[in-house]
Amino acid sequence: MRNWTTYIRDAFTSTAVDGDVLDELAQHAESTYDELRADGVSEQDALAKIDRLIDGWRTDPAALQRAVRRSIAVVPPSTSRSFFSGTIADALYGLRLMRSRPGYTAITVLTIALGVAAVTTLFSVAYGVLLRPLSWANGDGLVRVIESRGGKQGRIPGTMMNGSYVAWEDQPQTIEGIASWRDGTVTLTGVGDATRVTVASVTPSMFGVLRVQPLRGRAFAPEEGRQGNARFAILSYAIWQQQFGGREDVLNQQIVLDGSPYTIVGIMARTFAFPTAKTQIWLPTEIVTVDGPNGVKRGQIFRALARLKPGVTTAQAGAEGTARAVAGADAGQVGMALFGARDPIQISVIDAAEAATAEVRPAIMVLLIASALLFATAIANVANMQLARATGRARELTIRAALGAATARLSRQLLIENALIGVAGAAIGVLLTLALHRAMPSMLPANFPRVDDITIDGRVLAFAAVLSVIASVAAGLLPMLHVRRLDLVRAMSEGSLASAGAGRSRLALTRVFVVGSQIAVTSVLLIGAALLVRSFAAQVSADRGYDPSNVVAAMVPFPGGRTFEWRQQARTRIIERLKARPGVTNAAFSTGVPLMSAGGFTSFNFNSPFREGVNIDAQSIRRLITPEYFAVLGLRLRAGRVLNDRDSLGAPTAVVVNRSFVREFLDDVPIERALGVSIGKNAVRGTATDGAAATIVGVVDDVKQDAVDGAPQPEMFVNLAQLNQANLGEGSIVIVRTVDDPARYVDALRTAIREEDPAIALDEVMTMDQRVGESLSRPRTYAVLFGGFAVFALVIAGAGLFGVLSHSVSQRSRELAVRTALGASRRQVIAVALKQMGIAIAVGMAIGVGVSAGLSDQLTPFVYGVSTHDWISFGIAPLVLVIAGVIACVVPARRVAQTDPVQVLRET
Amino acid sequence: MKRGSAELLILALLEERERHGYDIGKQIEERSDALIKFHITSLYPTLYRLESKGLIEGRWVEKAGQRRRRCYRLTPGGRGTLVRQRSIWQNFAKAINRVAGIKHA
Repeated sequence: MRNWTTYIRDAFTSTAVDGDVLDELAQHAESTYDELRADGVSEQDALAKIDRLIDGWRTDPAALQRAVRRSIAVVPPSTSRSFFSGTIADALYGLRLMRSRPGYTAITVLTIALGVAAVTTLFSVAYGVLLRPLSWANGDGLVRVIESRGGKQGRIPGTMMNGSYVAWEDQPQTIEGIASWRDGTVTLTGVGDATRVTVASVTPSMFGVLRVQPLRGRAFAPEEGRQGNARFAILSYAIWQQQFGGREDVLNQQIVLDGSPYTIVGIMARTFAFPTAKTQIWLPTEIVTVDGPNGVKRGQIFRALARLKPGVTTAQAGAEGTARAVAGADAGQVGMALFGARDPIQISVIDAAEAATAEVRPAIMVLLIASALLFATAIANVANMQLARATGRARELTIRAALGAATARLSRQLLIENALIGVAGAAIGVLLTLALHRAMPSMLPANFPRVDDITIDGRVLAFAAVLSVIASVAAGLLPMLHVRRLDLVRAMSEGSLASAGAGRSRLALTRVFVVGSQIAVTSVLLIGAALLVRSFAAQVSADRGYDPSNVVAAMVPFPGGRTFEWRQQARTRIIERLKARPGVTNAAFSTGVPLMSAGGFTSFNFNSPFREGVNIDAQSIRRLITPEYFAVLGLRLRAGRVLNDRDSLGAPTAVVVNRSFVREFLDDVPIERALGVSIGKNAVRGTATDGAAATIVGVVDDVKQDAVDGAPQPEMFVNLAQLNQANLGEGSIVIVRTVDDPARYVDALRTAIREEDPAIALDEVMTMDQRVGESLSRPRTYAVLFGGFAVFALVIAGAGLFGVLSHSVSQRSRELAVRTALGASRRQVIAVALKQMGIAIAVGMAIGVGVSAGLSDQLTPFVYGVSTHDWISFGIAPLVLVIAGVIACVVPARRVAQTDPVQVLRET
Repeated sequence: MKRGSAELLILALLEERERHGYDIGKQIEERSDALIKFHITSLYPTLYRLESKGLIEGRWVEKAGQRRRRCYRLTPGGRGTLVRQRSIWQNFAKAINRVAGIKHA
């Protein structure tokens, strides 16, 4: 047989022609010659014809240059012994490979970038919130001191009372000092418009315990906290700059807070952010002894910090605190009201940073785990794509091996290629993280602790770098193991790995396994997300016992120096003005509304009306209200009547109680029997008919005071008009029900208040719907974050599934064609093609559901209104996965169905 | 002959199935009953031009004991070009008909 390639190459002596083109022309010449000969043409004539053909081609050899995209040239491994120059050569080669496949490179880099961004962002949250030392801790041993009785913390969790504080304050053994603080707001007047400012009332000892000194001026002297003497203030750096223009001469000047003058004695540094970064002014306060003058029992509740002496453990300090508190004076009824228990006092001492973040710790851990799972899915996808490419690159790798590259050398090459992708992914991931950080304050719940401490610093960047290394190595590991098994002889002789049976099936199995694991991880994330979303929905739609729609509420801080009578009349006038506005249906004042004030606890005792000789200790929320309170909030009356204007000064004292009150203190009698019952002379103090017993006139349903999963609390309501004296603290709350969007009535509300007294600055103006929304910001954030991870994982797993299926269908086209040719129906062929994947999905899903069933109890703290084994959540996830799986399979399946078996068999 | 007609013919042939160069040349000759005298000299330059434009793509197919053959197939871009060129040709033919007054049988 004639060698046509040589024949033609000889003809093109003057011009170099590409080897591929020569082959192709030779193929043409051979076919022409064979056909001519088969038609009976003589050898000489046939050759002459071929020569004419070649002459034609030779006329314009330039036109025979192929300018097509070439596969990247196989470069012999660097012969240099130097590790570095070899690495650089490998890196350059890797870069060329990346550039030659922009689509593939973009997808792998983006997948890693998203994974890195998700984990890094959550790491920065976890690090900033949970691990970074508190900015105001200034060294070791700063602890929170928390009081409990019989395991129950105070109504305001994390607090302690004055009895225990005073008992420990004097010459403590295990601590250097103790200090207390309370948050609050006051009205600042005299500097521009009246504004509400955030204050912290601290004992003068606070600055010593925190080991801080003011930037200007001085800290509070011990005696400056004394009641009646506490007319001093320390400014924050921010308010000093904003309200006082940063002037040095503000020291020793006076400011007016809530109508009283205070002397500025100091200014804190910019970095001082205690208890929060929002605190603008610090005021001195005093923790008083339980036993006041004239035998009066005094109760205070507050948060406290202490500094441990060197070498002392929290347990030792707690033991001293407990011993001293138990030996100290008891606050009696007040302690009862605030703790709801008479058990002995227990003082616990907890690391300050840990205490500040205890609430969010489990959530951050769960989210961190979720993001790690997501990261694993993303890496698995990249590994899978690398594996798919490894089959395509088998020939290249084989040639490199044949040219003398050691397996270790090829492994290094693959590792460096992956490292390049990893580094690119990490770089983009860090950019994404920076963007996410900018959005962080709006993404996190309103009351999330330590948001200001979440920053991107060296540690976070180092973390991202470590992640990218993990990603590169993990993604490169599978293809690398594959290289180690590279069988030179077989790969070369069979032309491509695509037809190498054993290698292919092992590889395919690995890829199926990877997809199965991805499905399992995605199931876990989907089920978790479904649980959290359903829990959030349950909290939104939960019956709170009142109707928050179309209600606006605001704090009305009445200025000091006014009489109780004046405040009573002002309230009446404000309500009248508000109700004159079209669109306002009801308006009322109250000492508290749900989600707004935790105070108003009272404790009293009375003789049981149902059991002779039994005295009942009652602890209840007491709301002092104007009569339309019930109408504004839409409370449900279950028996008797609500309060009205006839319950006035001098009339018999009437109270409305809720069901919990009846259940806890009235032997849970049918509510009708509670009507007309007397709850004693101590229940309501300060009425004109002091000494007369209060009588229950109505029973309403319980309302959820705070979170919907909180236990219902006993509550009683008294008409403010029945009192002739009451200490309402800093003010009271106005609530208004409107016919449409209550936010549109805020201006009317401000006007009505200002007309009464321009010095009143309305505070905390919000609709009740907004308050409900804000109270749900944590569950919403967790649901959104978890849902986002789940959707992302779903997309990744879907893409992985699609890639593996497409690949396996194209690899198995011959087998599938043979099946079709042998009479299998299209449906049967598709079933064969998808069977392996179907099994992978089913097994992955089963594992995912199983793991979720084991793990879902971890979500208990975040789930409300649904079981952690909620069958709908566990059902939705597989359903979504099956739908995603079907979508991922449609294209490859169609390809199988549309293939013409004859063609496939002829071509291959 | 109108410029680009060779390209149109090749694209049309590849629309049906993958073919190698020799096959393409033979099909053009056979199907036109040798009415269109296609210069076999320009076949490969045309193929390479189409390939560099991304309208077709070639790949090597190997079979045991045979010379490896280069097969060409239409890319999605080539399919689009074919559709456009076809309609241009149809308009051209219609115009010729109208001007020349050739009646349909």
